[in-house]
Amino acid sequence: MIDKETFNSFDLVGKDLSNRGYNSSYSGNISMKSGGKIIITRRSAMLGWLQPEDLVIIDLEEEDAHSGLVASTESNVHRNIYKETDAMAIVHAHTPACTALSMVEDEITCIDAEGMLIYKKIPVVECDVPVGSYELAEKVASTLKNYPAMIVRAHGVFAKGITLEDALGVLTGVEQSADILYRIKLMGQPLKRDYSKEKGFSNW
Amino acid sequence: MTGLFNKILIVNLSSGKQQTLELEDKIYEDYLGGRGLGVKLFTDKVSPKTDPLSKENILVFTVGPITGTSVSTSGRMSLVTKSPLTGTIFYSNTGGMFGFSLKRCGIDGLIVEGKSDMPCYLVVDGEKGISIKSGNALWNLDTEETYEEIKKIEGDRSHSLMIGPAGENLVRIASIMNDGGRAFGRGGVGAVMGSKNLKAIVVKNGKQKTPVHNEELLKTYAKSAQDKIKALPITRAALPLFGTAGILHVTNSLGMLPIRNFKKGFHKEADKTGGEAIRKEIFSKSEACYGCSIRCGRYTKAGGMKGKGPEYESVWALGANCEIFNLLKITQANYYCNSLGLDTISMGVTISCAMELQEKGLFPYPQMQFGNEDILIETVKNTAYRKGVGEELAEGSKLLAEKYGDPETAIQVKGLEIPAYDPRGAFGHALGYATSNRGGCHLSGYLAAMELFSAPKRVPRFTQQGKPDLLVLKQNQSAVEDSLVCCKFVGYALGFDFQSRFVTAITGYDFNISRLLEIGERIYNLERLFNIKAGFTNKEDNLPDRFKNVPFKEGLSKDRIVPLDDMMKSYYNVRGWNEQGIPEQKKLLELGIIELNN
Repeated sequence: MIDKETFNSFDLVGKDLSNRGYNSSYSGNISMKSGGKIIITRRSAMLGWLQPEDLVIIDLEEEDAHSGLVASTESNVHRNIYKETDAMAIVHAHTPACTALSMVEDEITCIDAEGMLIYKKIPVVECDVPVGSYELAEKVASTLKNYPAMIVRAHGVFAKGITLEDALGVLTGVEQSADILYRIKLMGQPLKRDYSKEKGFSNW
Repeated sequence: MTGLFNKILIVNLSSGKQQTLELEDKIYEDYLGGRGLGVKLFTDKVSPKTDPLSKENILVFTVGPITGTSVSTSGRMSLVTKSPLTGTIFYSNTGGMFGFSLKRCGIDGLIVEGKSDMPCYLVVDGEKGISIKSGNALWNLDTEETYEEIKKIEGDRSHSLMIGPAGENLVRIASIMNDGGRAFGRGGVGAVMGSKNLKAIVVKNGKQKTPVHNEELLKTYAKSAQDKIKALPITRAALPLFGTAGILHVTNSLGMLPIRNFKKGFHKEADKTGGEAIRKEIFSKSEACYGCSIRCGRYTKAGGMKGKGPEYESVWALGANCEIFNLLKITQANYYCNSLGLDTISMGVTISCAMELQEKGLFPYPQMQFGNEDILIETVKNTAYRKGVGEELAEGSKLLAEKYGDPETAIQVKGLEIPAYDPRGAFGHALGYATSNRGGCHLSGYLAAMELFSAPKRVPRFTQQGKPDLLVLKQNQSAVEDSLVCCKFVGYALGFDFQSRFVTAITGYDFNISRLLEIGERIYNLERLFNIKAGFTNKEDNLPDRFKNVPFKEGLSKDRIVPLDDMMKSYYNVRGWNEQGIPEQKKLLELGIIELNN
């Protein structure tokens, strides 16, 4: 049973991702933990136009019929993240700046004030099959043990949070930091002051 | 394990025998230190059916891997015992300087067993070891006098834990005071010390530094944590300026500040007793525990008296909850609770329980009326000395209300009085009260931080879906924080990943988040198992009736009742417990918990 407030949260987060242009019409997926289960978006759900039947409940521990038949392609990734980290909600989207930078960087070091305070580093992982694979599920969950968000090279961002809104905040936050870095790179100018080098982020 | 000394001192007050227990790394890997280590050592030694005030009960004082390091709030320590108020296993922690000083003696903990024939106190000396000394000259002194006397005898640089007259008189809501101003406040732990004729524990002359595996890395993490503490308004400004009592303005405005023994959630005069008024009218200077930059503690002066506090819970319990709004009287009553060694929360809620009983015509003490500020200080004193009406209140609200035929008047869970967040105003926090292993405690999961202050993240107050899952996460995290040991207020600013980084840098072991959460779950389940063996059932995972059936009629929390039954079923499921709330064998095996034999 999915209550109205919960659906509204999914709807709000889905619309926000869509409005920002972070996904194509049918891509991206979001989920939350509830009652020892996972509520997750249906495969090929349009996040900008979610209907109540676009949310499905799947088992937290193992594959079940719903997760294989109707749940998001990345449901095994979400499940692994819940099993191995402190995530209570997950948002996944193909955000442009993070995805673009992941093609040329092995990690993204935040250089803006908010990014430095909250995220510091956004790790990038590479997979032979970067969509839906067990390899992906394993690498994403392992990385999110110690980071609030990470990027799968050439694919997009997985962000975790306490609530859906919180996970959305993390995802939009890291994209904002990546976008600033991307613009700096486009300008091709040296930084007047690189705070990130002063704060020992290489240790992070 | 680096970060600790792998050494526990045991002293038996009956025989005077002392012993050093050397622990294997596996114990620390499974339970860390602090609360977790205390729970493990306690459950290994004490039968769940033990009378809390008998010589078979023990006191386990422990520090953790973070204690004494460069991490903010690293001065904390933990106590585990069986509570004479709740009958549950009871964990408590305290700040100040004692924990840091204990660790400087090169030990991770101290276990006190047995019962002394005569009043005594213990001295843990970093150079000379442990000794048991006569406490005859200290007995009957209040905690301030005891503190001063100990300083004269043991030196100015000593630190001490002590009980006041309330502990000596086995009052079930007696606290253990820490250097006179901080406390192991809840659960009547002071009465456990009193039952052993143990007046105080003194620590001095410790010179050992906490070993750290990677000091440079720890400094990087600690600096980054400081940046966040300085950036967040709660830790940067609200707590330093207004102390914890600043919270009163928020809960009152949200209609969930309990008034008249939890009958109302808002009062127009309540702000007269909050952190802003304290700052303006009675504040003297702020104070910090060892290693803390937040400085939430405060010295105050009130009506010719001076002392520490009042904290939020204290100013509410002795004030708004009894419909008393005279800040000077409340502060003085708080000073007396400290000097006599009483838990301010349980004291205030037991007084308000008596007031409601009197209002219903059930309690034969006409002076016990809501709003009667003149009885406050006398009632506190009488409770500590078990005189007059105080003899009735000294047993706590549960036994008081049962004795006078109206158990629902006692606002408690498992015998522990509920603190200053009305459950109708925050549903996740409400479930936390009902499921805490030590009873009506706000710190075991503390979802109020997220539900009220968005700290560190925002969670809506009145949603149900996902709340049991979130509470389980927070309870497990909290068990870890209590084991490291660090302050809950750091959690306002920092994500849990910081704890993982700290303990990994200190120990050199990979304590990633999931591993830490498993440790938290292990601790929580072991406590639960002890309570079940002690006789607790799912019936005690409950809230007083008014929270489930009687909504407020006004304010921002009006028309809300706690949907406890729905959330509880889900909570048990998330925990891996059966419908009776008993951990499944599979869960215990997963966590490596062997059934308690004793």
